[in-house]
Amino acid sequence: MKNEREILSVQHLNKSYDAFKLRDVSFTLKAGSIMGFIGRNGAGKTTTLKSMVNLVHSDSGSVQFFGLDIKTHESEIKQRISFAFGGVDYYLQKKLDTITNVFKRFYDHWDEKAYENYINRFELNPNKKVKELSQGMRVKYSLALALSHHAEILILDEPTSGLDPVSRDEILNIFEDVVDSKQASILFSTHITSDLDKCADDITYIKNGQILVSEDKDTFVDSYRLVEGSMDQLTEASKHLIIGCHERKGAFSGLIKTQDSEIVQGIKCSPADLESIMVHIERSIK
Amino acid sequence: MKDLLYKEFKLAIHPTCYIFLLMAFMLLIPNYPYYVAFFYQTLGIFFIFIWGQVNNDVYFTTLLPIPKRDAVKARFGVIVIIELAQIVVSIPFAILRNSLNPTENQAGMEANIALFGLIFLMYAIYNMVFLPMFYKTAFKGGVPYVFACGAMAIFVVIAEASIQLIPALKTTLDTLDPSYLPQQLAVLLFGILVFSLVTALAYLKSAARFEKIDL
Repeated sequence: MKNEREILSVQHLNKSYDAFKLRDVSFTLKAGSIMGFIGRNGAGKTTTLKSMVNLVHSDSGSVQFFGLDIKTHESEIKQRISFAFGGVDYYLQKKLDTITNVFKRFYDHWDEKAYENYINRFELNPNKKVKELSQGMRVKYSLALALSHHAEILILDEPTSGLDPVSRDEILNIFEDVVDSKQASILFSTHITSDLDKCADDITYIKNGQILVSEDKDTFVDSYRLVEGSMDQLTEASKHLIIGCHERKGAFSGLIKTQDSEIVQGIKCSPADLESIMVHIERSIK
Repeated sequence: MKDLLYKEFKLAIHPTCYIFLLMAFMLLIPNYPYYVAFFYQTLGIFFIFIWGQVNNDVYFTTLLPIPKRDAVKARFGVIVIIELAQIVVSIPFAILRNSLNPTENQAGMEANIALFGLIFLMYAIYNMVFLPMFYKTAFKGGVPYVFACGAMAIFVVIAEASIQLIPALKTTLDTLDPSYLPQQLAVLLFGILVFSLVTALAYLKSAARFEKIDL
């Protein structure tokens, strides 16, 4: 059973750039869960994540980890969380051993035995240089570092981007193991919706700097249906209900809210998945 | 701070900093503008920042559980250590040059105590111009380095011209005569004092800027 305790709370985060605005971003992460943070490229995923760890200074709003505000307890919080841009992408010419020997000095709860276990389990060679690792191995090294200082929340920006399907699956399995063994909770951003189909408990969906939805994945997916049919079946009223309607050769396809699906009688409805929901919503708000 | 300094030496320092320490041998050249031997190390320090960009040093460091300004403090720490090391390593070469070949340097200041005072001033100017300008962005290093080189060049030209053209300065500072040791020690102490104060100010300015920027 999932622990419903909130360990991360982002409230009304705002950040303005010349060409982009993060507007009133709010969501929470529950202990023992995996949250997928989705949105297309440039939607504001990285800016939100960076704001959460004070790499970017928000104009207003608050971020609390374990009930502590990041602005006043930054070092204390960073002892208990881990943040990574995908895999390890620093000091490419250095050996893993050299980086680890520096990294571990900063963490009060560094667990050398756990680190050795992860290195063995992930088949990482500590004598290799970072540049010699594949992208998947870099993500694994990043996870080994995070888990060895007993980070309770792992925040990962696009950890699966650029990975082949087998490596992606492997990383997602590790995520599940980490959460199932109650080692940490995970928030990771991605635009690959199949990652979330596989392992996310909750979804936070950002579009143009605004959160469209943040809720349980199954509820979210179940709240939409795919519809398709011929154009003659569409009435003026039903046209307005269809999200991201695509017309071609006298036929149409689109998305509809589950609650509206009964109104459009006679049109073929089928279950939606995250990808089709995202594609249709993005198309509708263009 | 000890751990951050360890990190700077293990991960961040550019290998050329060690190589440029060897440029101290240039003090053995009988006729040479000796400032140049010390200038190379500013290039080594510049390479630390460029190397840092390539290696995403700023993200690695700021994501560690440390206050942001400590990242700047550690970087200043390593820079001051390198600058002092450059000066310390140069001392035996200056002594050797003056013992082996005690003739006048035709290309500028003698390799004497006053020169080391002027080098402290040159490094103070470098720290004051380059570092706060870099920490405006924590990303762009080229333009700040060009400005810092310009400022150091202006200082060297003014210092050298004053010493060569003003007889009182020429007599007391551009000489190996031990009877002018007090005047030369005064220049050294003044240099150390200005270096310390200016570097501390540069740190405060850089840390304040670094804390404000979005990474």
